[in-house]
Amino acid sequence: MNDVMAEIEQEIRENRVVLYMKGTPAFPMCGFSAAAVKLLKEVGVPFKAIDVLAEPEKREAIKQYSSWPTIPQLYVGGKFVGGSDILREMHARGEFVPLVRQAAGAS
Amino acid sequence: MVSPEDIRLRIEEAFPGALVTVADSTGAGDHFEVRVRAAEFAGRPLVEQHRLVYGALGPLMSRIHALALQTETPQEARG
Repeated sequence: MNDVMAEIEQEIRENRVVLYMKGTPAFPMCGFSAAAVKLLKEVGVPFKAIDVLAEPEKREAIKQYSSWPTIPQLYVGGKFVGGSDILREMHARGEFVPLVRQAAGAS
Repeated sequence: MVSPEDIRLRIEEAFPGALVTVADSTGAGDHFEVRVRAAEFAGRPLVEQHRLVYGALGPLMSRIHALALQTETPQEARG
């Protein structure tokens, strides 16, 4: 488990925008993951997607990493942002676009 | 299978006086839409509000496949 945690830390450190999801951006395997991908594509920032269905250990580890029980999970600039409900709500408030654009530009 | 009532009771227990609505999206007892309006959310970021609700659901979470969650404070509801 420690190796997986270290790998997660590295992924989050080395990529400005990281989405842990079920499936891939081309083939999301869950409606919530699909919604998160759609939003990121709308905003138009590059992001790294990690398919937790392909890595069962990581699926559990990422839940512990942020004490967050669900997937997808978005990390921007090294920080946990939230799951798909949070992303949608932040977007509705106009807070999401500035957050990811700023992080993507700062890389 | 989890019932909407199980979810509502858990949340109401954790947030006395909260307004809680739970809809079983598919009727199959594993996809739910939950809205919670609670005074406890005031001054807390969204992520913390959601964490509080997940915490209140505890072991139920592992039996639910999908939970769409919306939280607000009584102040936001008036605004």
